[in-house]
Amino acid sequence: MSKDSARRLIFCPRCDARQEVSRVTKSTSCPSCHRNIMTTDVEINEYCAKIEMWTAGIVTVGKKGTLIAEVRAENVIVKGGEIKGPVTSRGSVTLDKGSKIFGNITAPSLCVGETQHLVGMIVAGPRAAELLAEIGMHPPPVKPAPAPQPKKVPA
Amino acid sequence: MADTSRTETLIGSDVSIKGEMSFDGSMRIEGKIEGKIVSKGRVSFGQGASVVAEVTVGQAKIEGTFKGNITAAERIELASTAHVLGDVRSTKLVIAEGATFVGNCFVSPDALKVVEKSEFVTPVAATPIKK
Repeated sequence: MSKDSARRLIFCPRCDARQEVSRVTKSTSCPSCHRNIMTTDVEINEYCAKIEMWTAGIVTVGKKGTLIAEVRAENVIVKGGEIKGPVTSRGSVTLDKGSKIFGNITAPSLCVGETQHLVGMIVAGPRAAELLAEIGMHPPPVKPAPAPQPKKVPA
Repeated sequence: MADTSRTETLIGSDVSIKGEMSFDGSMRIEGKIEGKIVSKGRVSFGQGASVVAEVTVGQAKIEGTFKGNITAAERIELASTAHVLGDVRSTKLVIAEGATFVGNCFVSPDALKVVEKSEFVTPVAATPIKK
């Protein structure tokens, strides 16, 4: 395996700063906001209540899973489970048939199989910013990703 | 005699309508509509359709541009080419990947019951006091 394919680009769920990490990295710290970033994929197959579920990986909620948290992830997949809380994704949010989300969804791509439970404000799709501008709202500003500053070595 | 439940009324792409429309069967709209659409049947907005309306129907499929609130008793389907700005209320919802949707969504098995209740709430001050 080449060295390049062993690395991946991640974005900080808090400040959107980008950095390259190894594919096997489980967590790292953000070069911009210096907060911890979970980079692993998360799979929920049971009841899980947290304040926040922020990861630079993928959040998957299985059929028996119930996730109560503010979710921020690269991609969110709900395979028949349930999320209670706002969901923000940099990639896509996918709801399989029978999945439930009670909370606002913000994502560039949203795919909903036949669902009977979806309550909240949805801002999704490639032209969402255009439609938001029409009603005088603006999408949440994406902070420019600052380059990591070199650490000062004390003399 | 023609079977009205199977025939689909087509509003072509060169048609522009302002006002209120109601029908029983099924309708496909490819043109421009502004106003209100009421039906117990099915309405589909084609890819070239541009609709600014308040819609209350049985089933709805959106492939084009739609602005306004939509209430469907049975099902709402947004195709990948759909651009929807407005609130959606239904018992079932399907959104294809690539669709753009900005608005409030209330999809629940009793979504329409809540509407009925909220519309016909007796004001507290108007209820007679039992002695």
